[in-house]
This record gives sequence, structure tokens and C-alpha cells, in this order.
Amino acid sequence: MSTIGEKYTSISPAEFFYKYREVAGFANPVKAFYQTIKELIDNALDATDMHGVLPDVKISIERADEVQEFYKITVEDNGIGLPPDVVPYAFGRVLFSSKYSMKQSRGMYGLGVKMVVLYAQMTTGRPIEVTTSRENYRMIYYFKLRIDINKNEPVIIERGAWRKTRDWHGTIVSVTIEGDWNRAKQRILEYLHRTSIITPYANITLITPENEIVHYPRVTTVLPRPPRETKPHPHGIDLEMLKMLLNNNGDKTLEEILVSSFQSIGSSTAKVLLSTAGIDPSKKPRELAEEEIQKLFNTIKNYDKYRPPLSSALSPLGREVIEAGLKRIFEPEFLYAVSRSPRSYEGHPFIVEAALSYGGKTPMSPQDQPVVLRYANRVPLIYDESTDVITQVVKEDINWDHYMTSFPAQLAILVHICSTKIPFRGVGKESIADIPEIRREIRLAIMEAARELKHYLARKAREKEALRRVETIAKYIPEVARSLLIILEDESNEYAKKTLTHKLVTLVSKRSGVPVNVVDSIVKSVEIGA
Amino acid sequence: MSLASSEVDIKTRSRALELIRSHFKKLVEESEKGHKLQLVFPKRTLSNTIYDQKAKMLLLGPDVQYRSFTDINEAKKFMQTLLMASIIYNTLRNNEYPTIRDLFYRGKHSISYTSVDGKTISENSWDEQRESDSVIRDLEVLLNILREDLLILSKEKGKVVGNLVIRSGNDVIDLSKMGHGAYAIEPTPDLIEFIDVDAEYVLVVEKDAVFQQLHRYGFWRKNKVVLVTSAGQPDRATRRFVRRLSEEYKLPVYVLCDSDPYGFYIYSVFKVGSITLSYESERLSTPTAKFIGVTLTDIFGTEIFKDVLKKHGVKEALEEVTKGISKLGSKQPYLTPEERKNFVIKAKLRDVERAVELVGYRVAEACLESPEYKSKIKRKEGASGYPWFLTPEWVRELCIFFYTTSKLEIEAITGKGLKFLADEYIPRKIKSGDWIE
Repeated sequence: MSTIGEKYTSISPAEFFYKYREVAGFANPVKAFYQTIKELIDNALDATDMHGVLPDVKISIERADEVQEFYKITVEDNGIGLPPDVVPYAFGRVLFSSKYSMKQSRGMYGLGVKMVVLYAQMTTGRPIEVTTSRENYRMIYYFKLRIDINKNEPVIIERGAWRKTRDWHGTIVSVTIEGDWNRAKQRILEYLHRTSIITPYANITLITPENEIVHYPRVTTVLPRPPRETKPHPHGIDLEMLKMLLNNNGDKTLEEILVSSFQSIGSSTAKVLLSTAGIDPSKKPRELAEEEIQKLFNTIKNYDKYRPPLSSALSPLGREVIEAGLKRIFEPEFLYAVSRSPRSYEGHPFIVEAALSYGGKTPMSPQDQPVVLRYANRVPLIYDESTDVITQVVKEDINWDHYMTSFPAQLAILVHICSTKIPFRGVGKESIADIPEIRREIRLAIMEAARELKHYLARKAREKEALRRVETIAKYIPEVARSLLIILEDESNEYAKKTLTHKLVTLVSKRSGVPVNVVDSIVKSVEIGA
Repeated sequence: MSLASSEVDIKTRSRALELIRSHFKKLVEESEKGHKLQLVFPKRTLSNTIYDQKAKMLLLGPDVQYRSFTDINEAKKFMQTLLMASIIYNTLRNNEYPTIRDLFYRGKHSISYTSVDGKTISENSWDEQRESDSVIRDLEVLLNILREDLLILSKEKGKVVGNLVIRSGNDVIDLSKMGHGAYAIEPTPDLIEFIDVDAEYVLVVEKDAVFQQLHRYGFWRKNKVVLVTSAGQPDRATRRFVRRLSEEYKLPVYVLCDSDPYGFYIYSVFKVGSITLSYESERLSTPTAKFIGVTLTDIFGTEIFKDVLKKHGVKEALEEVTKGISKLGSKQPYLTPEERKNFVIKAKLRDVERAVELVGYRVAEACLESPEYKSKIKRKEGASGYPWFLTPEWVRELCIFFYTTSKLEIEAITGKGLKFLADEYIPRKIKSGDWIE
């Protein structure tokens, strides 16, 4: 994690936590359990696949108290690890990231894990334990810490370091929370299952409090290209962000700030923007009046000659990974994945990926639509399905009859949207808003896959028809052979019977193009009754 | 001695066995050479049934049918044909005499298989006798052999009496010594051997009742006649039997039927063959057979026809159908107007439609008076009639039929007196040559 050298602004953690507890998903012992697991796994995966490391993630959940519903959750990854000096802050201080550069990731810049620490402290009072090492370190570092809520400071209870005896890197986090395992279990397993669908390159193991082992073995070593950090596109900026930029860069000129903070703004574009906004380029950044900032903001927003946002900040899964993932879980008879080209909305680049899985172990769909598997930045979206734009496209924009599909069917649609900013609907982050550009891309992606499905189904129907035609002939082979042998007075000669039957099978196979063994199996199934 | 051991029976069997075996052996050899596994035989369809003007009989045309095993539309029929061939082959080998119904039951069994989607599907080799009968006919044309020579029996229907001595099996039978009964013509008439025939002609009577009356009256003895009845539609054996008498003893053959289109058609089956069994005509039909009666002109005379000809356009229309119709000779009716009134009955729509089939729509249109029938037969427009009925004599008969919409059943003539029929009507007609061909 590239947290070194980044700037943070502190706010009161207690205030933050109480304010955002529900928003962050810690409203009750069921949701909190789920959210804790989700945050820790998301972090583990972010520390691995986002940095080109094939993930090995182990999760264990143990009952930690005989009376109370306390559970110790340990998540181990083989990710890039954390520098020891960052650990206390990464886990022990509620921070607000001040970085302007952006890239796709699962979590909220590590904010979630601090909520976990706070929740643990509030419910069980037990500290968090972190063990970590990076690739070239000779040492492994251990921390036991809690957050001083009033001071918003990490309190290190215990720390240790020892020499690596093997080439290990990664992070092990242990936290003890109060939760309702019985009611959270299904949610957690579902989350893990959905996650595993799009991470075929990951080894994921979960040990439950009942000592059940859920294991998703790695089936491919292909990793999606990791995202690269990029500066924000000027269309994606908001007023607060602009103000902060001006405040924090007092020593630079206005032009320098624009050029260094945004993608696709060079010095000539910067000059045009400033003159359009009617701002004297020699003014000190901090001296801009409120209405000047507003004017500059509007000008930046309305200027239409920027290049489209760079997509290098995005990390689409790619067709290969999606197909490997679906294959691992559903073993479908038909599978097709689409990875669309980058597009943008409001200055944010995004990529839509879609896949159809048909037959095999693909689950049976409801009466009116296929099974929909939604993902945003590799995080499965499990709840609020009906309000999601993906569901709306599936139900409203696609005429499934046209693709020779009627429901229920063993058909699942996977849609993954990756973006530097996913336009979530509401605070639950479970449903994506209806943005026309995104809706269009989802539609095109699904249609492309559905066309392939249609071709497949048509071919299957043709093959079935060819088989039917062969059946109408092959079923008479034993009768014809028997009749001929009677006339040739050879009916009790088993060898003659075999030879003649085989000749007829070969003949029918040759005429129809259906393989000999298929024709033969029909013939073998024939029974001539009385 | 049993029938099975009769020499002619044994010979027929071994000939049939050899024919079937060699045919299907060739079929297998052909397919081994890479040719299609297919049966090739003349098409038994209406469109491939043609009237041979020279031979004066219905024959199969040149169209050939290919029944390939690998053609999905033909596969089942192919299987059925082979199945039937093997059953017949077995019955020949086992000295059996199956009927076509026996063959139907012997071959009827289930064939089940497992389909692509794992379902077990069951069907019957055939469900109705119509199907098994059809493949028997196919085998007859395929092997160019009649079913009688495959020792397949059918119900006996025709009867015969007369000065005729035959050998059937190992028995000699004198057909003049049948008492009140008659000899039932066996289904395999080719196995009959004629020993002695003493007759002037053959009289075939459509109706069994009339046959019995003429028999008891002593008609055949008095007139030296071989008296035959087909008891309705003639079966194959009766036709073959009549044909043999005509062919082997050059006896003239006269046919006596009802005076209606059905009666006319029965006569034509004897003479030219039937449309459904046209492949047998060469062996079954009697091209010299004459229709002795009852004709419409026997009932109405010829004056009535002259009245019809006077109507606008009728003469032209009929001349176009058959040349010379307006120059036919005239004759007096055999019935008085009074008798006519008593014996003649009204023709039904069915009869009129059948008549249209015989001579075509144009004759009906020209001669029909009844506006009701006229409108009802409109759907037969385009029917051109059978060529062998399009002679001036037959067209005149049917024209009178259309005009009067009258028909007469032969029993009515006996109503005038059996004596009249036996001693006057038939002998007079034969003597004066008053028949139609």
C-alpha cells in the first residue's frame, strides 16, 4: 500500500463513528459481523491482486468467549504488507485521506478497517493484532493496538519484531468483535461465494466457528492488470476539492496547480481556463475570492476540449478471468464474457464487463429474469438488487425472447462495473444509480454476450434436430438387420448380426454426419417388444 | 394328402423364396459397394396409373419410387417393407398360408429406444392394417410377383358354377355338381388346374342374389354358361379366375351389373383393372369383357337421348368429349313406361358424383337437369373422366343417367320375372350383340 508520504487530516473519531456507524454498515450484530469480514477480505485482496500478487487469503472465525457472543476473526493475506511505522496509523487512527491521485480499489482507502477496530473496542474491548512484513524486509513486525478515542491516537499495547526465517510477506489481522454468527453466517458465505466467482486467481479458505472449511482453490494464474494511480480528470472535480487544492499548494502558481493536479490539462489549457474564468494568473492561490473560485470551478467543469479520462486507473477483470471464475463455480455448458472499452461519465472513467453463464451448475433463475450477479470494483453487490441499474437493464432493456431465452432458465448474468467513482444509489453502497452512459454500456455488453448465447442455443437446437433425425432412422436398424438376416437365412449367426448392424450404423452415421458412437448408442438402446 | 404337399404349391413356394432372397441379397451387396440402401420400385400412385389404350387396361406408369433407409421420411416404410418381407419369407419357409390380417398381427410389435434427452420412446412397427397392407402391395411391385404367388390368402368371395372340371390341390372338382351351392373361388386361382371346360361364354353377375336365382333356375345348364359372381366389388381371385377362362379357353365374358355408376365401375374393374391395384392389371384384367347390362338405354331406349341432344350446346359439348356420339344407332327399351315407373329409383348425389368421375364434368354439365345436383357437383369441375369410359356408347349412357338422374338395381329386372331375365333379356342381348365395351 502506497500510504507513505500521503497526507491525512484528522477528525474526531468518536464523532465520526457515531455519525457514520449505520452508514458504514455496523448498525447491529449481524450487519457488523458481515461488514467486519467484508472489510478485512477487501483489504486482503486489495493488498494482493491490485499489486500483481496472486492472493492466498485465509479467514478464520473462532468463538472467543463461552458466555458472550464474542468472535475472534483472523484474516491472513500474502499481500505487499505494511511498513511498521505506518501500521499504528493505518489501524489506530481514523483518518481522512487527502490524496488527490486516484485509482480503483475495493475499500474506502482503508477507512473501513478503522471502523472495525472501533467496533471491536466498543463491543469486546479487545485490541487489534497486526502481523506484517513486506517483500524485501528481513523482519516481521507485530503490533497489538487500540485507538484512544478522545485523542484519536493509536495506543500500542505490545509490539515485536523478529527475523524472517522464510520469504514471507503479507499481513495478518486479528480482531475480536461481538456478533451474531448464526444470523450473519449465510450472508458471509454468500459474500465469499460471490467474491470467489470473480477471483479465480485467488486461493480463499474460510474456517467457521463450527470448524467447517470453505475452500475456493485457485484455478488460474492470470491476474487482471493492476490499476495505476492517475490524477483526477477536471470534469470529475468538486468545489471542495478545488478549494483544498488551492489551500494546500500556496507556494505554486495557479497554472502550476492546474497542470500538476489534473490529467489532460497542460500549460496552454491552464492558461485558457484561467483567462476564460477572468482570473489573473499571477494571483496567489490562497488569495482567490469565493466568487473567483466558483467561477474557476464552473469554467473547469464546462470546458469541453479535454481528452476523455484516462482508463489506466481502472483494473477491469478481463474476459479470461471472468470466464475462469464462472467456470470454476458453475461449470456451465455455455459461457461468454465481454469486456467493453473504457467510457466516462461526469469525468470519471468506467468499464463495464458482462458475462453469461448457461446450463451446467448455473442456478435456476426466477420466473421473470435471469440470476443477476452484480459487482462494483470487484466487490459483490448482494442487496437492493431491484433498484440497481444492472437489474433494470436486464429486465427492461433486453428482450430475452429475441435471444431464444425464456425464464426460468439456468442462466446467470454477471455484470462488473469498475470506475474511479462508482455512482452508488444511497448510502448502503449496494445499488448502482441509473447513469445513462453506464446504462448504455451495460446494455451493449449484455447484448453482445446474449447474441453469443443465441448462436449457441441455435446451434444446439440444430444439433439436437440432427440427432432427432438420426434417431428416426437409427431406431429401425435392429429391425432392418433382423429382417435381412431372416431373408438371408443367417438369423442365428451372431457374427453376421454384429457385422450387418455395424454396417448399417456406419452407413447412417456417414449419411447424417452424426458420429458412429452416437448412432451406436441409439441402436443399443433399442428394444423390440412382442 | 395335405394341400401343402401338392406339387404346384411346393414349386410356388420355392420360387417365391428364391425371388425374395435373391432380391434382398442384391440389396445388401449394392449397399456394400457404397450405393444407397434403397428399394426401387414403380410408384403406386394415382398420377402414375395410366390407361394403356393399346392393351386396354390400367397399368403402372414409368415413375419410380426410391425408398431409401437413410431418408428420414422413408426410414419407417423401409423398415416396414423389410419386416413384411421377412415375415412372408418365414411363412413360405414354414409352409404356412397367412392372410393379410395374419401378416398384420405377426409383424405388429413395439420398438422402443432412448432418445437424446434420455426419454424412452416407444412406437409400434405398424399400428393399423392399412400400413401393413400397403407394404404388401409395395412388395408385390418390388418383387414383381402377386401376393397369391406368395401364398398369401384372402377371404373367399367369388363363386362359380358351370360345366367345368378343375383340380384344386389334389382334388378334382366338377363345378356342375355343386347342388344349390357353388364353388368358392380360392384365393390362389393360379394353383387351379382346368381339366375340362364345356361352355359358350362366361357370365359374371355383380349380385350374389341374382347369381343364386339364375343358378337355381338352371340358366347356366340351359345356356352352357360358366356363371360367376363377384358378390359386389370383385376380389383379385375372382378377376384372375375370369381372366384365365377368357385367356385359356377364349371364352367371351359378359358382365351383368346394376344400372348405376357403381355397377359400371365394377365392370371396368374386370375389364381394365382398378386404380389402386393397377400393377396387377396385366394378370387380373379381362380386356375383352363386355358390359351386357343393365344399360340406361335398356330402360329408356335411345329416343330420350335425342331429346337431350336437341338442347342448346349439348351436341357440340358431347361431340367434343367423344366424336360420333350424335351418330349412334337407336334402339327400343326393354321396359314399358309403366314398368319403368315401378322399377327405376332416384339417383343420389353420391351416384351423380361417381358418374362425374367416370365421364368427366363436361358431360355432367351438359346433360344434368337438376339445378340442385348441378350446383353441388361444381367442386368436381375439372374432372376429365376415365379414358376408357369416354366412348360414344358410355357417354350416351351416362348422359341419360345425368338427364334422368335415375338408376336401376338389377333385382328390379327379376321383378319383371326371373323368366324374363334368364330366357329373354340375357339371351336376346347376347344374340343381338347389344352390349357395350
